[in-house]
Amino acid sequence: MLETVQLSKQFKGKTVVDEVDLYLDQGESVGLLGPNGAGKSTTISMISSLLKPTSGDVTLNQQSIIKNPAELRAVLGVVPQDIALYQELSAYENLKFFGRIYGVPKQQLESRIQETLEIVGIKERQQGLIKTFSGGMKRRVNIATALLHNPKILILDEPTVGIDPQSRHYILEMVRQLNQQGTTVLYTSHYMGEVEQLCDRVYIMDHGQVIAKGTKAELLSILSNEDTINVQLDRIDDEFLSSARAIDGVRKVEVSGNSIHIIAKQERQIVSQLVKISDQFDVQIKNFQMETPSLENVFLHLTGRTLRD
Amino acid sequence: MKPIFLAQLAKDRRNPFLIILLVVVSIVATVLFTSGTQAPMTIQIYSEADQAEAIEDKWADLLSEGTDMTFEVTEADQVKENIKQGQSEVAVKLLEDDYKLVTASNTPTIYYVEQHVRAVFEREARIEAAVSDADQQGEMREAIQTELNDPLMTMDVQSTSGEPLTNYDMGIQLMFAFTLLVAMFIIGFRVNNVLKDKVYHIWNRVILSPVSKTKMYAGYLLYAFTIGFVQTAVVLVIFNYVLDYDLGERFGLVLLVLAVFTFSMVSVAMLFTGFVKGPEQFYALYPSIIPLIPLISGAYMMPGTISNPALVFIGDLFPLSHAMDALVDLAIYDATFQEIVQPIMLMILISVISMGIGINLVERRSS
Repeated sequence: MLETVQLSKQFKGKTVVDEVDLYLDQGESVGLLGPNGAGKSTTISMISSLLKPTSGDVTLNQQSIIKNPAELRAVLGVVPQDIALYQELSAYENLKFFGRIYGVPKQQLESRIQETLEIVGIKERQQGLIKTFSGGMKRRVNIATALLHNPKILILDEPTVGIDPQSRHYILEMVRQLNQQGTTVLYTSHYMGEVEQLCDRVYIMDHGQVIAKGTKAELLSILSNEDTINVQLDRIDDEFLSSARAIDGVRKVEVSGNSIHIIAKQERQIVSQLVKISDQFDVQIKNFQMETPSLENVFLHLTGRTLRD
Repeated sequence: MKPIFLAQLAKDRRNPFLIILLVVVSIVATVLFTSGTQAPMTIQIYSEADQAEAIEDKWADLLSEGTDMTFEVTEADQVKENIKQGQSEVAVKLLEDDYKLVTASNTPTIYYVEQHVRAVFEREARIEAAVSDADQQGEMREAIQTELNDPLMTMDVQSTSGEPLTNYDMGIQLMFAFTLLVAMFIIGFRVNNVLKDKVYHIWNRVILSPVSKTKMYAGYLLYAFTIGFVQTAVVLVIFNYVLDYDLGERFGLVLLVLAVFTFSMVSVAMLFTGFVKGPEQFYALYPSIIPLIPLISGAYMMPGTISNPALVFIGDLFPLSHAMDALVDLAIYDATFQEIVQPIMLMILISVISMGIGINLVERRSS
C-alpha cells in the first residue's frame, strides 16, 4: 500500500535518513522505533510528503507521490509530535477548522466533529479553550484533528510524549481500536512498550538507518541464544565491572544506578562467575533476575545503547 | 483559503480588544492632536525690551487682527511658568521689530501660530519700510492702511485646474497620518500570523491537507487586508460623518486609495516577515521601525518640510507617502481619479515587488 524505496535525506551534507526501505500493508499496524535523533520524524515527514527526500521514493499503491502528493494527502492523517492547534480557540473550533481544511462536506462536518470528539473522549470539554487543557487532553485533540476526514492511513509521531499514564493508556487503546476498524497505522515512538503493545511489525532505526525489522517474534529471535540478566549491587565498582565484562560469553554490560544489565550467551556459567568476582572485589549482590527478552533488549543488543540514551 | 480566513477571524473574535483599542487610539490621537489647530486659541505675548509696554500694546492689536486667535499680554515670568507647566503650548516673546516663539513641545499648533505671527511681522516690516522715507509718516501709514483695506487691485489665486486655491488643513493630514499608522500596526500583526502558525506547527499540518500553498497564503493575507481595510474605513467614516471632518467630495476614491494602501502594506509586512527569524523577532522589530515611516515620509509635517533627498527617497519606498499624497489631494483639493493615478500605481508597484520577494524569502527559510 505505502512503501519507501531507498529513502534518504541530507541536511547541509549530513545524512539524517539513510536508504530506508519500509512498507505498510493495508490494515497493518507498523511501529517505527528508535531513540531521539534516530531519524524517525524526518522519515515520517518524507513519507507524509511534508519533506522532499534527497534521494529515493515514496509510493502509494505503486505510484510515486513525490511529485504528486495529492492522492496520498487525501487518504492520510498525520498526528505530529508537536501540538499543532490554535491555543486560543476551543477544541470544537479547532476541529471545525481542520474539518474544513480537509474538505469534509458541510452537511457531514458537524456529525464528524461529534464522532471524533467521542472517539478521543473529550466531547464534554469541546467548548474549552485548548490553552486551558492538560497535556493529555491537548494530545487527544491533536489526534482528533487527524481523524476528521476518515483517513485510511494514520501516521502518529510520538503521540504520547509528556502525558500522564491515564491519557497514554487512553490514546494507545484508541489507536488499537482504529487499527482494528481497518485503519492502517504507522506508529513511531521511543517507548518500547507502546510499540510492543500496538504493532504487528516493527522497524528499528538508529543513526538514520533501519537496523532491524520484522514481527516482534522475529526480532526477539535475534536474542534467542542469549540471556538477559539484571543484577542489583550495593555499589558500583570499576574493577568489578571490568571483570564482569571479561567473563567468557558476556556480550554487553550496561550500568544503571546501582544495577547492571548483562547480555550473555546462553548455557554459560555467568551466575557463578558473577558471585565469584563479587566476593573478589567485596561487592554485595542484593538482587538477581533473569529477564525474558524484550524489544528493548533487542535494541540494546543491536546498538549497545538503550532507547533513552 | 476560506477556512484559514475564518480561523483567523475566530481568533480575533475571541480577543478583539487589541483591534478595538487601536481604532480608539487612532481616533483619540487625531482629535487630540488636531483639535488645537482648528479651535480658536489664546496666545500669551510678552516683551522684555526697554519699551516693553508700548511694544506689547502695538503687537497685541496687530496680531489679533483678522484671526480666531487672541493674543493676550502676560507677565514674562507667568508666561515662562505656564510653558514650563505645560499649561500653554506656545507663547510669543516680542522684540521691537522681531519675535521669538517660546515653547516646550513640537505640535501642529505651533506651526499654525508661527505661520500667522510671521505673516503679521512681515506685513508690518513692509509698511515700516515704506513709511520710513516719507515726510509725513503718520499720514503715509494711514494711506497705506486704507489702501490695504480697499486695494486698487485684488489678486485671485487659483489652482492649476482653475479652481480657487484651498487653504491647507493640517488637521486632515494628521488625521490620515494617525489612521494609516495604526493600520500599519494592525496589518503587520495579522501578517505575522503566517510566522506564528509556522512556529506552532499549524502551517505544516495545513500543508498536509488538500489546500494548496497559494490558497494558504491567500487566506492569511486576505484576512490581514480585510482587517486593515475595515479598520481604516470605519475610522474615516467616523471622521467624515460623525466628527464632521471634511474629507472632500470623493469619499469613494478615498476608500479606493485606502484599499490600495492596505494591500501595499500587507505586501510590505510580508517582506518584513521574510527578513525576520520568527514571530517574536517580528514583534520586537516591526513596532520599532513602523513609527519611523511617517516621520521619514513627512506625514506629520507640512508638505515640503522634508527636503533631504535621501529621506525623500527612503520615504518613497514605503506606501505611506504615496497614500498620504493621494488622500490629501482628495480631501483638500478634491482631486479626480486621474490626479491620483500616479500614487496608486506606485503603491501597486511596491505591493508587487514586496509580495514577490517576501513570499520567496519565507519559502526559502522554510525549506
